[in-house]
Amino acid sequence: MKRRMRIGIAVVCAVPILSPLLFLSGNDYLIQAATRIFIYGILVLSVEMCWGQTGIFTFGQAAFFGFGGYFAGYMAKNENITDLGVLLLIALVAGVIAGTLIALFLFSGKRVGELYVALVTLAISYVCEKLANSWTFVGSGNGIPGIPFPTIFGKEISSSIALFFIAFGLFAVSMIICILIIDSQFGLAINAVRDDEERAEFFGYNRSLIQIIIFIFSAVLASIAGALFSLSEGFISPSSLGLTLSTSTVLWVVLGGKGTFYGPMIALAILESVDVEMQRALPSLWRILVGLMLLLTMIFLPKGLMSLGEKSRNKREQKKTT
Amino acid sequence: MKLLQVVGISKNFGSLAALKDVSIHVESNEIVGLIGPNGSGKSTLLHTICGRTIATSGSVLLSGKELVTSNPMVRAKSGMAIKFQLARIYVEKTVSENIMLSLQSKDGIWSLIRSASSKKFIPKIEELISEFQLSDYANTKAKFLSHGQQQWLEIAMAMASNPSILLLDEPTAGMSPKERADTAKLIKRASEKCGVLIVEHDLDFIKDLCDRITVLHYGSVISSGTPKEIENDPKVKEVYLTRV
Ligand SMILES: Nc1ncnc2c1ncn2[C@@H]1O[C@H](COP(=O)(O)OP(=O)(O)OP(=O)(O)O)[C@@H](O)[C@H]1O
Ligand SMILES: [Mg+2]
Repeated sequence: MKRRMRIGIAVVCAVPILSPLLFLSGNDYLIQAATRIFIYGILVLSVEMCWGQTGIFTFGQAAFFGFGGYFAGYMAKNENITDLGVLLLIALVAGVIAGTLIALFLFSGKRVGELYVALVTLAISYVCEKLANSWTFVGSGNGIPGIPFPTIFGKEISSSIALFFIAFGLFAVSMIICILIIDSQFGLAINAVRDDEERAEFFGYNRSLIQIIIFIFSAVLASIAGALFSLSEGFISPSSLGLTLSTSTVLWVVLGGKGTFYGPMIALAILESVDVEMQRALPSLWRILVGLMLLLTMIFLPKGLMSLGEKSRNKREQKKTT
Repeated sequence: MKLLQVVGISKNFGSLAALKDVSIHVESNEIVGLIGPNGSGKSTLLHTICGRTIATSGSVLLSGKELVTSNPMVRAKSGMAIKFQLARIYVEKTVSENIMLSLQSKDGIWSLIRSASSKKFIPKIEELISEFQLSDYANTKAKFLSHGQQQWLEIAMAMASNPSILLLDEPTAGMSPKERADTAKLIKRASEKCGVLIVEHDLDFIKDLCDRITVLHYGSVISSGTPKEIENDPKVKEVYLTRV
């Protein structure tokens, strides 16, 4: 069994074991924060699959997150569809449609640069935020408040701990799917596209099809995460589509190290846990500090904090071969 | 029908005519050499054949199929494989993974996702890495290989795709004399399975290896024939003496 798979299973097992601590404390606030971390975790996985594994620098992944969130939230509130399975399916379809349109635009033609992809996706996220802000149909600046709790077999799921386990379960499933993809032959192919997409074409790979598939897959992940977000929080607002969330996601991935799954998750967990406290303690300074962290990591550890471990592994390997 | 037939290729980069009406052909199991001074257009010719650059005019036929405007993927699927002048391998992947990448490149997406061929390819990987003297490095990342080994890995990857025509751009650059001799043997063996078009600086290396040689100078063919004929051609001598 590959190393990644083993660690994946360990992580998946760890949380149910640790989580009793969480609800024994009876602190709803903590449970909700943990839920949010796993929901954003799915978003992180989607960016990691695109950027870390395939080299598609998606800088606007929140657009899909918000899209799924708005779709599911709207359906739950205005169409009285509250079944969780159906709502997630709706988000999945929404993700496929939005992802396909943008993927075809970006990747069906000639090769485009990483920066071009980043700018286009960032612009899409920006436009979506502006649109949601001014479109009264989706509540303008207020977004959609008062989204009812989802149901499973007609039973309402309203307790924080149930929502936590749903978020965690979906995260775990998403992560296992991602790990299975990465460890498959297809995973090797998407890494080849990341490392040298032109070279991959000379081996006969359908570079554009591979990019389109991964982009749609990650749009679906993000969209499902968004749906889960709006259902568990009970509201969705334009900021969930926008630049702040988009760049935060990139920040988590950069800090934790793209190319790994665990680093970004750790970065997300730490930053999200301290975020509220720090914003209160250092209202204007905190954002600057975070930006500085991003800058310093990009300069000194371009592969993120997790690359420290890899560096020592590489040194050992080099000693072995020489 | 000739295996690879390149007819009247011209390539302009802006006002620079890098290739002028170049024709060359390769039969199955034949090794054809392409020599010429720096900047004479050797790499550019290989690039127009494999699809890295599109020729301004002319035609590239592989087993009679016109490919001059096709994209690299179509050309690779039609049976072309290339080793670039600067080795382009996947340095972050292991030697086995690099070979695997080439072996599986024609599989459909669904069979890749299911990893349907991962076991099937293992014997083939072992055979190739032992042929290219890389068995000890099967699980070593390619970036830790020596310069010569990286070139061999790229040739091994090219051979893994079972090509009908193998394009080699300076496969021995920077190699020790022993490595060069080994490379010559490897190329000879490869030619039992396909046609080979090989770019080289060094007339001495290529004359024992090739069946025919074409000489490029400022983007034009100035001579073409057997190694003996080329060696004794006064035009070629002139080019190679005035060089440096
Ligand atoms: N993409 C490009 N854009 C502009 N000019 C180019 C390009 N590629 C090659 N050239 C020019 O075309 C000419 C031929 O270059 P090419 O690389 O084919 O030579 P070569 O025979 O392979 O030389 P070397 O022995 O140094 O590898 C050179 O003058 C080079 O500067
Ligand atoms: Mg060259």
